[in-house]
Amino acid sequence: MDKATIELLARRAGLAKALAEFPEDVAAAAKQAADVASRIEQPTEPTAEPWPPMRAGRGL
Amino acid sequence: MSELHWLSAAQAARAIAAKELSPVALMQALLDRIARLDPKLNVFIRLDAEAALAAAMAAETEAAAGRLRGPLHGVPVGIKDIIDVAGLPTTAHSKILEDNIAAADAVCVQKLRGAGAIVLGKVATHEFAIGGPSFDLPWPPARNPWNTDHHPGGSSSGSGAGVAGGLFPLALGTDTGGSVRNPASCCGIVGLKPTYGLVSRRGVLPLSFTLDHIGPMTRSVADNALMLEAIGGHDPLDPGSAASAAGRYAAALDRSVRGLRVGFVRHFHEVDVPAEPEVTAALAHVARTLQMEGAEVRGIRLPTLGEFAAVNRVILQSEAWAIHAPWLRERPGDYGQLSRRRLMAGAFFGAGDYVQAQRRRLQMIAEIEAAFREVDVLLCASSMDPPCRIDRPVDIDRTYARQARTPFNVSGHPALAMLAGLSVDGLPISVQFVGRYFEEATVFQVARAWEQAAGTDKKHPPVV
Repeated sequence: MDKATIELLARRAGLAKALAEFPEDVAAAAKQAADVASRIEQPTEPTAEPWPPMRAGRGL
Repeated sequence: MSELHWLSAAQAARAIAAKELSPVALMQALLDRIARLDPKLNVFIRLDAEAALAAAMAAETEAAAGRLRGPLHGVPVGIKDIIDVAGLPTTAHSKILEDNIAAADAVCVQKLRGAGAIVLGKVATHEFAIGGPSFDLPWPPARNPWNTDHHPGGSSSGSGAGVAGGLFPLALGTDTGGSVRNPASCCGIVGLKPTYGLVSRRGVLPLSFTLDHIGPMTRSVADNALMLEAIGGHDPLDPGSAASAAGRYAAALDRSVRGLRVGFVRHFHEVDVPAEPEVTAALAHVARTLQMEGAEVRGIRLPTLGEFAAVNRVILQSEAWAIHAPWLRERPGDYGQLSRRRLMAGAFFGAGDYVQAQRRRLQMIAEIEAAFREVDVLLCASSMDPPCRIDRPVDIDRTYARQARTPFNVSGHPALAMLAGLSVDGLPISVQFVGRYFEEATVFQVARAWEQAAGTDKKHPPVV
C-alpha cells in the first residue's frame, strides 16, 4: 500500500490526528492489515457462509 | 500444613471447611508475600487488601458457624484488569480508562464470589488485552516469576505471574488470540480457554466479540476444573452465551486415559512454525507418556497455523476497531505504541476482508470437527519457544506469532495449556490439549494424566 493510499484511508477512517502525531504507527498498522488479509485463502464456493450464521429467534 | 502460598485452591478450601485453616491467616500470608514480591513482579494494578481482609474475616466467621458459601470458600483470586469488579477501576492497563470505576461485578466475578472466593485485586494485562509488553503505559508490565528478566506472556500477564509466583492460587484471564494460554505457557501453570460461550462475557471489556473467551488460570488441573465449575453456565444477557449449563468437571478428573484417541498435530510445530528443539522434544515426551498410560496417539492434520493466524487477526482487528475507533480518533496519544499500531490496523480492512475471514473460519471449523470424528482430544504445541527476555523488543516480535493457540479462538473449541517441562535455562516449556465443544472434562482428564505422570503441579519458580 503506497503512502498516498494509506493517508487517504486513514483520513477516511477519521485518523487525521493519529496521522499527524504518529505517521509511522499509521503506516505500520496499514502494512499489518495488508499483509494479514493477503494470507487468507478466499473461499471459492459461492454458497460458503460466514460464521456465525444468522439464527432467527436466538436473540436476547 | 505446607507453605500457605503454595496450597492449591482445593486444599485451602478443604482445610477452611474442616476448620484447620483460617481464611484470615491464608489471606495475611498472601498479602505478606505480595508486599515482598510484587515490587519485582508488577502483578497488581490495584491491590484491594482492606476489602480482601474484611472478606476473609467474614469467611472465617461463616466457616466457624458451618456456613460455607461454596467450594471456594475463603480462597483468594486475582482478576485481570479488563474484568469488572464493583467499586474498583477497570483500567485495561491503559491511560484511556484510568478513572473507569466499575459499577457492578462481571458475571464471572459474581459467580466466583458466590462460590466463596475472595477478590484480592486487579492485575496487570497487556493494554486492552492486545498491546504488550509495554513500557509506555501508566503501570509497568508484569514479570515472569521463573526469571524476572523474562516475559510472563500475555495478555493475562498479571494473572499468570501471580498464580505462578504464589501470590494467589486462582486467577481469571481472557483469551482472544491465546491470552490465557500464553501466560500459562510462559509461567508454567494451567490455563484453560473454555468452549466459546461457556463462560459469560458480561462485564468484561471486549476486544473481539466473536473471539473473546474468559478462562481459569491455576497451578493444578484439579483447581482449574473447580474454577470452571464455578464460573461456567448460561447467561441470558450475554448474546454469545451457550445454552448449556456448566459441567461437573472435578469429579471425573481421575478417569484413566486408556483407550482414549489422541490426535497429535505435529505439523504445527514441525512444519508450519518450526519449534525450538527442546520444545519439540518435550511434546514428543508428552505423547509417549500418554501412550504409556494407555492412550492411542495418531497424527492429525489441520489447516496451517499461518492461515489460522491470519483469519484470527482479520476478525480480531476488525472487531476491535469497531470498539476502539472513537478513542483512536480523539486520543491516539493515550495508547501505548504497540496497541495503537495493532488496533489501528482494523481501520485498513475492508468489509470484504472481514466477511471472507468469517467464511474461511467456518470451513476451518469444519476441518477441526472432522478431526474430532477420528480422535477424542488433540495434542499440540502452545508456544514454540520458552519465554524470551522482556526487555528485548526484537525477541518479543520474533516469538509473538510463534504459537499454536489462535486456531482454537477461531474455532471456539476448549483448549488448555500447561507445563510440559523446563528448558536448559530453567524456563517453562508448554503443551496444549484441545477437546470437542463442551467436552472440557476430556481435556481435563488428559491434562490430569500428564500432570500426575510428570508432577507438573509440584514445580514452582525458584526465584520467589
